[in-house]
Amino acid sequence: MNKPLLFLIAILLSFSFIPPKKSQFIARQGQVTFFSYTSVENIEAKNNQVLSLFDTNKNELAVSMLMNAFIFKKELMYEHFNDSYIESDIYPKATFIGKVEDFDTLEEGEQTKIIKGTLTIHGISKEVSIKTKITKQNNTINLTGDFIVTVKDFNIKIPPVLASNIAKNISIKFNFNYLPYEE
Amino acid sequence: MKNNIFYTFVILALVSSSLSAQNLLDKLEKEFPENTNYAIGTFKTTRIAIGQSIETRRKGQLEISVFSRFWDSPNSNKESFLADKSTHRFALEYGLTDRLTLGAGYTSFDGIYDSFLKYQLVKQQSGKTNIPISITLFQSYAYRSMQLGNVTPFVSGSDKSAYTTQVLIAKKFNSKFSAQITPTFVHRAKSILSEDPNSQFAIGFGARHKISKHASIVSEYYYVTNPLESVKTYDAFAVGINWELSHLMLQFHITNARNFAEDTFIMQTKNNFNFHDPNFHFGFNATFVLHTKKKKL
Repeated sequence: MNKPLLFLIAILLSFSFIPPKKSQFIARQGQVTFFSYTSVENIEAKNNQVLSLFDTNKNELAVSMLMNAFIFKKELMYEHFNDSYIESDIYPKATFIGKVEDFDTLEEGEQTKIIKGTLTIHGISKEVSIKTKITKQNNTINLTGDFIVTVKDFNIKIPPVLASNIAKNISIKFNFNYLPYEE
Repeated sequence: MKNNIFYTFVILALVSSSLSAQNLLDKLEKEFPENTNYAIGTFKTTRIAIGQSIETRRKGQLEISVFSRFWDSPNSNKESFLADKSTHRFALEYGLTDRLTLGAGYTSFDGIYDSFLKYQLVKQQSGKTNIPISITLFQSYAYRSMQLGNVTPFVSGSDKSAYTTQVLIAKKFNSKFSAQITPTFVHRAKSILSEDPNSQFAIGFGARHKISKHASIVSEYYYVTNPLESVKTYDAFAVGINWELSHLMLQFHITNARNFAEDTFIMQTKNNFNFHDPNFHFGFNATFVLHTKKKKL
């Protein structure tokens, strides 16, 4: 057998399995806000405890949040959201894994990129592309952006009598501040 | 052989790159701080059907409710629309804090004014701390402003008073099924007739099962350990459907209980549960919740 080839494989494998240290950044208090605007009622909720990991070597990131950590203006909305729509007993988390497209190096300053990935809400996964503003300052990275999700795509059923209270498309905003990740 | 190794490498590289984002997510899962998950919506509203549930109003929530019962009188020759007779309880409940609720109501048929305090002592939770049940304390005071049928008129104000104490213990077993046990103690300042006990005990059993995301089947039964001697009473029973429409909760049930105040319907239900008039009662509760204080996001 070819020894140099084996050696090459070993090196490449080690790269793909063990990411170099200090290339990962974590956001522990990421903010995700969603809005539902209808003529009947406006619903707004905010989660200040969203977790996210950003690997700047592979340009990949992961986001995870607890659905029962969303805060609503009205307590009853919180109950309905968790109990009747999102079913946080069964699906406690929403997640996102994705890759920043055309992202070569992480430069100081601001740049706008597309993040493509899989969004999982209510146990249903969907491919999404999100336009994101990436700002690097010294050793911190900030990601902000917004996108729209369709309630129906995630198998969240709204009874016909309440159809006018909840928007069919929900706008989602996010803001993550990353710091170097120490394992 | 070389080719094989090459392909193996390619496959491995592909697999590992698609997995690495997933690895990030797995890593992230370990970063979640331990938090407490409270059981949300064990019963959805403050009544299971006819009796109290462990649910209280949160701070600043105002509950406006109209409870109604309809029934037909036996051998009635009245051709009335819907039902011959009806009774209504009009009530307000307000969340003083997230755990303490103050409520008051008036019932048209028996003229009972009732007021109560409800305090959520223990919340069912999992995660950081594990508490398998919820406990709510209930204390009411009811004042009977009307004379009861053909019995001796009351002498003084305190004779018309009744105090009900309940310890509501409930468990949300899963997202669909919740059950409650309700030890109840009722004290009346003076009984209508001397042979009747001044203090009575009862134990209530209630449960709900969700049949859809917004509707559930509910049932309640109160077993009285020392019933009244002077009149034949029956244990209160109800079965019904609760339907939640955003801020409005609609409860439909069939029951043998005619009264609304806890001391009367638990201890003084004079009808057995069957479909004969006037035993058959159709109950309808409409409960609307207003938020007087909004949380800041």
